[in-house]
Amino acid sequence: MADIDIKSEIAGKVWLIEAEVGQGVEEDDAVIILESMKMEIPVAAPVSGKITEILVEKDEAVAEGQTVARMEG
Amino acid sequence: MGWENNVEEHRRRIAAAEAMGSTRRLEERAAAGILNARQRIEALLDSGSFHESGRFAVSARAESADRSPADGVVDGYGRIDGREVVVCAQDFTTLGSSSAINNGRKSQKMWRTAEKNGVPFVYLSECSGARIPDIMGAVGMGRIGEGFIFSRRRIVPWADALLGMSFGGGTWVASVSDFVVMRKGAVMAVTSPRVNSVAISEQIDPEDMGGWRVQTEITGKADLAVDTDEEALQAVRDYLSYLPSNCNEMPPMADVPAGSGEDANRILDLVPEERRRTYDVRKVIRLIVDRDSMFPIKERFGRSLVTSFARIEGRSVGIIANNPMFKGGALDVDSCDKATSFIAMCDSFNVPLIFLADVPGFLIGIEGEHRKVPGKIMNFMQALELASVPVLSVIMRKSYGQAYINMGGGRSDEMACWFTADISFVDPAVAASIVTGLDPTTEPEKFAAAVDEYSLGCSPYDLAGQYLAHDVIDPRDTRRWLGRMLDAHQRRRTGGIGAHHMQSWPFTY
Repeated sequence: MADIDIKSEIAGKVWLIEAEVGQGVEEDDAVIILESMKMEIPVAAPVSGKITEILVEKDEAVAEGQTVARMEG
Repeated sequence: MGWENNVEEHRRRIAAAEAMGSTRRLEERAAAGILNARQRIEALLDSGSFHESGRFAVSARAESADRSPADGVVDGYGRIDGREVVVCAQDFTTLGSSSAINNGRKSQKMWRTAEKNGVPFVYLSECSGARIPDIMGAVGMGRIGEGFIFSRRRIVPWADALLGMSFGGGTWVASVSDFVVMRKGAVMAVTSPRVNSVAISEQIDPEDMGGWRVQTEITGKADLAVDTDEEALQAVRDYLSYLPSNCNEMPPMADVPAGSGEDANRILDLVPEERRRTYDVRKVIRLIVDRDSMFPIKERFGRSLVTSFARIEGRSVGIIANNPMFKGGALDVDSCDKATSFIAMCDSFNVPLIFLADVPGFLIGIEGEHRKVPGKIMNFMQALELASVPVLSVIMRKSYGQAYINMGGGRSDEMACWFTADISFVDPAVAASIVTGLDPTTEPEKFAAAVDEYSLGCSPYDLAGQYLAHDVIDPRDTRRWLGRMLDAHQRRRTGGIGAHHMQSWPFTY
């Protein structure tokens, strides 16, 4: 069960946190939703597995490539 | 008779050429489920259509002649779906299919023959790099340098299946090909990890250097990655089915599968009316095009833009669509490069272009500027301006600023808006912030009034009212509209053959 970083591919502001620590997610499920370019942009789980850490808070600014959560797949 | 000796020697030499490398190496591959060069050719081509050329060639160095059947590259002619192709397959079991004098001459001859006769060139890469004993020293290097020419133009389609470790020659061919499919586990790089460790004391995992994830996600040099040799060879066949045999022909027409367009009404369920919400445009494309005809190119690279071959009413098209699912559909450096290369390829082979726009703009910020995003935007724009194939565009929802123009705005033979289209310079909220300086958290009412003001005049009817779009359509009619417009814009004066201004456009950016 490798630890996998869930990274934002775009800079923006955290709008919604869609998953909780311990929650099971499928590949491509939205874990965080950012507001960027006036759009609601999901940061999706790269694989199916379980969320182990949420590293951002609502309204926090995130950079491109920043790890916003971790999961085990 | 008296010919027995000749017949016997001929048979023996054919058997030696066809035996390829050592039995042990061939058995190891078979055990690992990896095809050898001759099996790959059989899997690629129509059954029984292969005719070899150059089978008696061996190494230019006498001391290697006995262990270099076909000099490590199996070349010849065959057919794919009944159409003639030229194929070269590197035989890794013979001296690692290392690049040397005679196999280099063989490959050069074959691609020139393909161009001269207007048939696709298919290369199956698996190459250990240069055959060092052959090309060491001034004469060795001089001969190799003189013999290799890389002045490729898009006269015939080049497709490369990269099926194993590939360094040097195998990678050069892939780098100038129109289409590259990799088998997962294959590696595409300039030199082997061994040369790296000797030359620059760097220990490298070959996958990190040029594995399928690197080449399909980071560099975009490979268009597709698959699990097996057989899938890769099928992908080459599928790719070529969308293209003509050469730049002076039209792509073949295909039968229209039953049920195509049947689910067009579902488009309204897939696309959210609210412009802030995202969706996967690939699902929309599948509803519009002929059933099962979508063939994405570089699907894992620059994902905010989809570039895909497909068919509409049996006719090949190249689709360029923003995908709001990734980065909100904003165009970035990678998606611009992807658009440019796809436009150059479609235009060179007379494949009409279809733009589907839903774009908030270009992705702005430091990362893009450091990676030359203005140049990438203009490359994309230049490609669109140079294209002479029919260009149709559909504005699905928002289309803002320069991205509106890059996505065919004002540059299309025919442009339609869905009734959900929203056209302007930027999102109204951005315009309100910039122009008024209002803070939406402290003065929400004033800000909302400013947003309302900048939201006026952005409708598809505003655009079509000034004849800046040619129609406003119901999204469910998209397939019908595209099919009819492809028919209307067939460039009948030249039989659909374009001017090919991007024939010499580089293959890497």
